[in-house]
Amino acid sequence: MSNVKLGLLVLWPTFWTGFPIKMVVALLLLAAHVHPWEGVGLEALLLLSIPIDIWALGLCARTVFLERLRVDPPQGMGLRLWAYWAGFSVVYLPLLYFAVGGVKALAKSATEATIHFVEESLMVIPIAEKITLELVMWGMPTTIVLIVLVYGWLFGLGALAQRFVRVSTPVDGTFQDIVYKWDLLRIPKDQPLLLTAFTGAGVVLVFVFWGLIPVSTPHPHEDYEFVNVKKVEPKIIPKDVIKSAEQVLARAEATIKELEKENPKGELPKNGKAQAAKEGSKPPTK
Amino acid sequence: MRQMQPKLTAKARCSDKEVGRISKVIVDPLSHELSHVVVREGNGQGMDRQVPIDQVQEVPNEEEIILRCSSEEFARFPVLDRDLYVTIKDVEIAHLEDNLHVEPGEILVPYPRLEHGVPRRSFFSNMTHAIGLLIALPFAFPVLKYLMKPMYRPFDNSWFSVGNISKIKKENIGYQFKFTRGFKEAFMPEQQIEKNIWVVKATPEVRKAVYGGKDKKFYDDKGNVVWVNKANVPYIGYSGKCPHLGCGYKWRRTKNFPDGVFLCPCHLSIYDEAGKVLDGPAPRPLDVLPMDVNAAGEVKIIDIEYKAGVKDQIRLL
Amino acid sequence: MNHEPNLANEPNVFEKVVDFVDERVGLKTLQAKMLNEPVPGGSRWAYAFGSVLLFIFILQVVTGILLMFYYVPSTDHAYASTQYIIHEVDYGWFLLSYHFWGSSAMVVMVFAHMSQVFLWGAYKKPRELIWLVGLALFGLVMAFGFTGYLLPWDQRAYWATVVGVEIMDKTPIVGDFMARFLKGGPTPGQMTLSRFFVIHVMVLPAGLMALAGLHIFLFRKAGPAGPFRGTPEEIKAKTDYFFPRQIWKDIVAMASVFLIICSLAFIEPVVLLHEATPDPGDYHPEPEWYFLFLFQLLRLKIFGGEFGQFLGAVAIPGAFMAFLAALPFIDRSPERDIFKRPLALIGWIAIMLGILIFTVSAIINREFLD
Repeated sequence: MSNVKLGLLVLWPTFWTGFPIKMVVALLLLAAHVHPWEGVGLEALLLLSIPIDIWALGLCARTVFLERLRVDPPQGMGLRLWAYWAGFSVVYLPLLYFAVGGVKALAKSATEATIHFVEESLMVIPIAEKITLELVMWGMPTTIVLIVLVYGWLFGLGALAQRFVRVSTPVDGTFQDIVYKWDLLRIPKDQPLLLTAFTGAGVVLVFVFWGLIPVSTPHPHEDYEFVNVKKVEPKIIPKDVIKSAEQVLARAEATIKELEKENPKGELPKNGKAQAAKEGSKPPTK
Repeated sequence: MRQMQPKLTAKARCSDKEVGRISKVIVDPLSHELSHVVVREGNGQGMDRQVPIDQVQEVPNEEEIILRCSSEEFARFPVLDRDLYVTIKDVEIAHLEDNLHVEPGEILVPYPRLEHGVPRRSFFSNMTHAIGLLIALPFAFPVLKYLMKPMYRPFDNSWFSVGNISKIKKENIGYQFKFTRGFKEAFMPEQQIEKNIWVVKATPEVRKAVYGGKDKKFYDDKGNVVWVNKANVPYIGYSGKCPHLGCGYKWRRTKNFPDGVFLCPCHLSIYDEAGKVLDGPAPRPLDVLPMDVNAAGEVKIIDIEYKAGVKDQIRLL
Repeated sequence: MNHEPNLANEPNVFEKVVDFVDERVGLKTLQAKMLNEPVPGGSRWAYAFGSVLLFIFILQVVTGILLMFYYVPSTDHAYASTQYIIHEVDYGWFLLSYHFWGSSAMVVMVFAHMSQVFLWGAYKKPRELIWLVGLALFGLVMAFGFTGYLLPWDQRAYWATVVGVEIMDKTPIVGDFMARFLKGGPTPGQMTLSRFFVIHVMVLPAGLMALAGLHIFLFRKAGPAGPFRGTPEEIKAKTDYFFPRQIWKDIVAMASVFLIICSLAFIEPVVLLHEATPDPGDYHPEPEWYFLFLFQLLRLKIFGGEFGQFLGAVAIPGAFMAFLAALPFIDRSPERDIFKRPLALIGWIAIMLGILIFTVSAIINREFLD
């Protein structure tokens, strides 16, 4: 089997196997207001990806070996193959990134120059047409280079995987036998344990999600007025304060006169009207 | 154990000799029982004769049945008019085949080799259920809270000015104070609604009947005291809604109560000036509101509404 | 569905309930018939798109119904009630954002599903009717997106709809009638909102459910097409049942899509613009992203002018849809291997690239306008 094909055959399912699990991590990070594509979030995601990827790679590579190549790879292949692939990619992918970036910049400037020349000497190109034309002009070489370099990356991945193919033992049997073999990779011996653990872990994560998720939108509209925020502070107008103070005094005088009438001894009752008058004149506070 | 049923392609024997093979069976659509067997004469070339089921004497085994009649009588059985019948593929009769075992065999389809692993099936089945549950679950709590949002509104403890006590001329008489307040529901524009309360300038005996000598405290949702109605303040304000079912009641002079009582026109609950229930279906006395009368005589209340129709005071707004 | 062998002699409560229903409904036979459908050549991830579409639709219905608890389809309250959902109702922002991104996911999945069916040649005999019903479903999904977009009644919603309806107006003969029918009058307003609301919430869901049911029924009748390569023996050896393997793949795909939509709801929650006004002001009208390629196409000079707009917006897409509908009758060759159908492969790549290029062009074009 060609290196590129092998590389692709193993990489594709590995990526998609790890994807849902990584999505769960990313979603929890997002619920906690952490961006998984930058800073702490990215570091956390990459760190957690390592064991996930090792597991997924081991599982998927073994499956491909069994199903397509009819060989049974050695134990512990996942970790070692991951190490090779990681080492290779860490070198190759940044090179790819800069190469494609360089080609893109070059293509863009070449496009700009060409368009400029055409507009000067031949005719003015309308905006919409120009946008699409430019896009195709610099997009095509960039995409071609990208595809070629990705092809090279897959070639490398496949070549590294071939090392393991060479040390694997051939397997015979019908297709069903092979499927049975790789089923055994997936089906745990103790099903109820795994199922309970999996579901339990999932439920716990859902509870964490509920705890983290913000109740109101994390991006509120700039003009929106929230209902509960209004705490109107009572405005203190000096005129009113003086007026009510005068009223208090007037009432107090009137009350005292009444009390003197009722109680000629001149004793003020404890929780009497004076108290009531005082309470009545206090401005109500919220 | 039921007697074995006649089977298709079984040989049919009369008392004297073999007359043919069962080619069809006819089932009664109501009783779901066999009504006839159809026997093809000879070795498959002859006529189809319709034989009532009671003519079947015995079904010794799957290969043959024995008829009561003789072969001459058999030859006189009517020929099947096929147009009078439909097959069970053409008509849907519920539970028709439940108790029929007339087939000579089955049409079989091979089970895919890959499906032979029982633990594999159950594992995938259970994992599928687990993941299905985990997809649905994250929505449960947010959806519940989402739907419940307007159900429990926080209490509004703002004060409203309802009038001046100067209009109260006599003691122990109910005076109505009307006021308008703003009311805003969710995103709807603010509306003005009209409400009313009843205020009584109470003598000490009436005050004692209402407060029992103790100050009345009012709380907010967190349990903090918002206001205290002092037991010696003569002015008492009652919520304008009757505690029975929320109707607006009035102060009326009647034959039995010439000085006046609070009378609710809906179901005729009667309350005295202390709010006590004198007659009628009211479950509790009139609800006292937090009230503040300032030095200028201005009356302010907190507009509280309590749940109608129950013995306890359960605050709604 | 108890697969663990029951060692006890007495059936448990759950089993008794199941038996009770089964005796009356034939539940076990029904379930067996539905689930034990053989998938020739084995279950595939590529076949999951149809089930994922159904899943997304169900969630759209659920979130849509929840939104209707608070949304008011009148021009004075549509914007305020939507803002209320976003800001005040607990988790309202999340449900609305899920509904919004779910609709985008649905369009993406529709393209994926249609592409898969096309590339696998599963539109050919005897599956022509499934294909035609599928095209109708595609139209419904686009209509869903178009009608739902108006409901928040902010500037973006209002003007995208106005532009879209005006384009339809350019259709000769029936254009004016169609536009007035959709707008509910000569100009957009309350009548438009009411119509779009009813269409989005009652008419289209009923239609989609009916057609989706028909689509699935026809699919079961014809049986899955299976892989386009492999001898009959190979295919038979790899055949397994819909349940559990295909259902397993379906549910993992559903879970992934669900997680993606939730994540998008967090990354880009729905934020409305200002409330709709008759004057667009500084706002540049734009349709939803899956109509952007058409929108950009109409900016080209060849589609200028009234007839040109009709050509670019209605005639050409219409003709393309008509071509797709006629496809099973034009392409009668039984060959299903995509690598042996060069015209089909090149055509598909060209269309996908074209849509991609014009969508990106539309996005670049935004900068020119600011």
